[in-house]
Amino acid sequence: MLTTRRLPMLLIMMLCCLPASAADWPEFLGPRGRGVAPEQGIRTHWSAAEGIAWKAELPGRGASSPIVVGDLVVVTASSGVRQDQLHMLAIDKASGRTIWHRRFWATGRTLAHPTSAVAAGTPACDGRTIVALYSSCDLFAVDLNGRLLWQRNLAVEHPRSGNDVGMGSSPRIVDGTAVVQIDCQGDAFALGVDMVTGADRWIVPREKIASWSSPLAMTTPEDGACVLLQNPHGLDLHRAADGKTVWSWKGECSGIPMTAESGSVLHVPSDGIAAVSPSAGDATPAWRSTKLSCGMASPLAWGNSIACINRAGVLGIGDTADGRLRGQIRLAGSFWASPIVVGTTIIAANKEGRTFLVSTEGEPKIVAENELPGTFTATPAVADGSVYLRSETTLWKVAAP
Amino acid sequence: MRQANALATFLFGLAIVASASHPATVSAAEEPPQTMAEAVAIATDLAKAAGPRGQTALAQQADRIAAMPAAWIVPCLAAYADATPAGANWLRSGLERAVDRAGDSLSAEAIAAVVVERKQPARMRTLAFGWLRERDPSRADGLLDGMLDDPAIDLRREAVEKQLTAVVNAEDGVQQATHRKCLAAARDVDQIERIAAWLSEHGEKVNVARVLGFVRNWRVSEAYDNAKGGGFARVFPPEAALPGRPETGQWKAVASADKHGAIDLNAVIATKKGVLAYAIADIVMPRSGQAEVRIGSPCAVTVWVNGRPVMTHEIYHASEAIDQYVAPAEFREGVNTVLVKCCQNEQTEPWAADWKFQLRVCDPIGSPLATQPE
Repeated sequence: MLTTRRLPMLLIMMLCCLPASAADWPEFLGPRGRGVAPEQGIRTHWSAAEGIAWKAELPGRGASSPIVVGDLVVVTASSGVRQDQLHMLAIDKASGRTIWHRRFWATGRTLAHPTSAVAAGTPACDGRTIVALYSSCDLFAVDLNGRLLWQRNLAVEHPRSGNDVGMGSSPRIVDGTAVVQIDCQGDAFALGVDMVTGADRWIVPREKIASWSSPLAMTTPEDGACVLLQNPHGLDLHRAADGKTVWSWKGECSGIPMTAESGSVLHVPSDGIAAVSPSAGDATPAWRSTKLSCGMASPLAWGNSIACINRAGVLGIGDTADGRLRGQIRLAGSFWASPIVVGTTIIAANKEGRTFLVSTEGEPKIVAENELPGTFTATPAVADGSVYLRSETTLWKVAAP
Repeated sequence: MRQANALATFLFGLAIVASASHPATVSAAEEPPQTMAEAVAIATDLAKAAGPRGQTALAQQADRIAAMPAAWIVPCLAAYADATPAGANWLRSGLERAVDRAGDSLSAEAIAAVVVERKQPARMRTLAFGWLRERDPSRADGLLDGMLDDPAIDLRREAVEKQLTAVVNAEDGVQQATHRKCLAAARDVDQIERIAAWLSEHGEKVNVARVLGFVRNWRVSEAYDNAKGGGFARVFPPEAALPGRPETGQWKAVASADKHGAIDLNAVIATKKGVLAYAIADIVMPRSGQAEVRIGSPCAVTVWVNGRPVMTHEIYHASEAIDQYVAPAEFREGVNTVLVKCCQNEQTEPWAADWKFQLRVCDPIGSPLATQPE
C-alpha cells in the first residue's frame, strides 16, 4: 500500500545528485588523479600544537588517503587481529566530528606487509556515491549518508585474487563506471562496475603479476573516456564504456608508482621516466630520463613540469617536453606518499611524519618543513585551503590560513 | 564547470517545485517491517544474498531493517546462522543503522543473552558483544570471565587478555599459574607467543612449535626440476604414486627445530633455484572427520592428505605467514599421511631466497589436532 512520505527525503536525494564541487578532492591524487589542486592559499607552517583545525583518531590502521566531498572527509581503515574489520568513516570537514561510520567484514585475504594495510586503496566519489576498495578485494559503494548501495566481494567471485603483501590499488570512477584493477599472481583482472547497480559492465583478464598502481582516467578523441592500467610489463588503455583495449605499450614499468599524464603524454615510471604518447603510432618513448626516477611515490606532472621523488628522497623537477632536469633538492626521510602540487608549491609527506612544502618557481626550494607524530604512507589531500594528512591511525586537518 | 553548477542549481530548484506539488511516495517494499516475524524474515533473506545482481533491492531491504524498532534488532541476529559473506555485510549494514537509531533503547540485557549463547554463530556473538561493550562496558567485561574456552575466537582472545591484565601486579605464583592457564586457552599466534615469552622470562621454557601444533617430523625427497615454474603442474614420481603412498625409502628424515616448525629446504637439500621437492609426514588424529590443513610458505605449494589433493597455490614470494593458506580435509582416526610439494622459482632478489614451509592441522579456531607417532 502506498503511503506519503516526508519531503526532505526527495530533497536529500536531489542534493546527492549535485556534481562534485571543484573544491573537492574526490579520489586518489585528487581530481582525475592528477595530483594537482587548484591554486589556493594553504598554511605553510604547522605542528601537532599549531595550525591544526582538528584531528580524528581512526578505528583502525590504513594507508589510504582521505577524500573530500562537499562537507565530508571520507577515510577507510581496517582493524581486528586478522585485520578483517573494514571501516569507512565520513567526518565533518569543519568540526572533525564523525557523521557516520560503516563497518563491514572482509571476505577475502587480509594479510599485508607492515608498510601497507587492508585499507590501502583510497576511496573515490562521483559526487553522490563513494566506492572503496580494500586489499581483501572487497569493493563497497555507499551514498553520502553511508547507506550501503552495493558490494562486490571479488575474492569470493574470483577465489585466487589477492596478494599477501597487500593489494594497494585505488578504484577510479570513469563515465559512470567504477574501475578496479586486481593485479596479482592468482586471479588477475580489471573490472568495470556500474556505479548505480554494482553489476559488471565489463571484465578484462590481466597478466598474472603483482602490481600496486591504480587506474588513471584519460580521454582520447577516438574513444572518449578511457582508463589506463599499468603493471610491471607495460600499459593498457581501455575504453571505460566496455573495457575494450584501445592501446597498449610494452615496456618495463614500476609496480608501485603509477603513470602521470600531462597534455596527453604519459610519463611512465620506467627505468627513470619514459614519455609515451598513445596518439603517436610509434611505441618508442619521445624521451627517457634516468635523472628523474621514482621510489615508491608516483610522479607528478602539471603544465610543462614533472616531479619525482627517488629512493634516496631527492625531489627532481624536469621538463615534460624533453625530460631535462631543471633542478633537484634533497628531502629527508623515506617517501611512500606521492607528492601533490598546489599552484607552484609541491607538498611531499615522508613516512616519518615530516611534510615538505617545496616552491617550484625557479630552482626548487624548501619553504617549510612541518612535523606530525606517526607513520605516514598516505598521499595528502587538499581542499578549500586545508591540507589533510593521514597517518596510520589518525587523520589530521591542517587549517586553512 | 560554471555551466555544470548552473544546471545543478536549476535542477535543484525544479525539485523544490516538483516536490511541493507532488508529495513523495514510497512503496511497500520500502516500508519498515510491520511485525517482528516480518523483520526476521527480511533479515533472513538479506543474510542469504549472493552475487552482484539485484543489489538495489537488497539495499532497500537493508533500509527496512534499519528502520525497525529496537526490540526486533536482537531477534534478527538469528539470521547470521546461514549468512553468506555478502549477506553478512548486508545484514550488518541494516542492523548497525538500526542500532544507531535505537541508542539507549536497545536493551543491553537482550544483547548479553545472545552473547553468551555459545551455539550461535561466532560472528553474530562477536558483533553483539561490540554493541554491548558500547552500551554497558562493565556487563560486557563481566561476561569475559566465562569465555576462556569460548568457541568464538575473538571472544576467547578478549577473555585471555582480561585474565593477563588482571594479574599484572599479582604475586609471582598467581601470575605464573594464570599465564599457564592462558597459554592453554589462547589460539591467536601473537597471544600465544607473548605468553610463552613471559613464561620463558620467568623460568619456564615453552616449546612454541609444540603448543601451536606444527608438524615437525618429515621425510624430504630429492629436488626435481621447476625451471620457469613448469614443475608446479608436472607429476613427478612421488605424485605418480598417489593416491597410494609414494616410495620414500631414500628420502631424508628431517626434524624441524624452528619455533614455527618450518622445514627449510635450502638447508635440507641445498640452496637452489628453479626446483621443487616433496615432503611427507605421518600424523595421528584423535578422531575421524574434517579438520583444517594450515600451511605457510613463500613458495608455490600443493598439499595432499591421504593421497587426496587438498589445496594448491601457485604463488611465489608474495609474503609468508603462519596459517597463510587454510583448507578443509577429511581425516581418519589414527594415522594419516600428509604430502607437500614445495616449489622454488628463479627469482634472484634477496627476499626471494627462502624455500620452506610450515604446516599444522587444526580445528576452525586454531586448536592443534595432529600429533606425530613416536
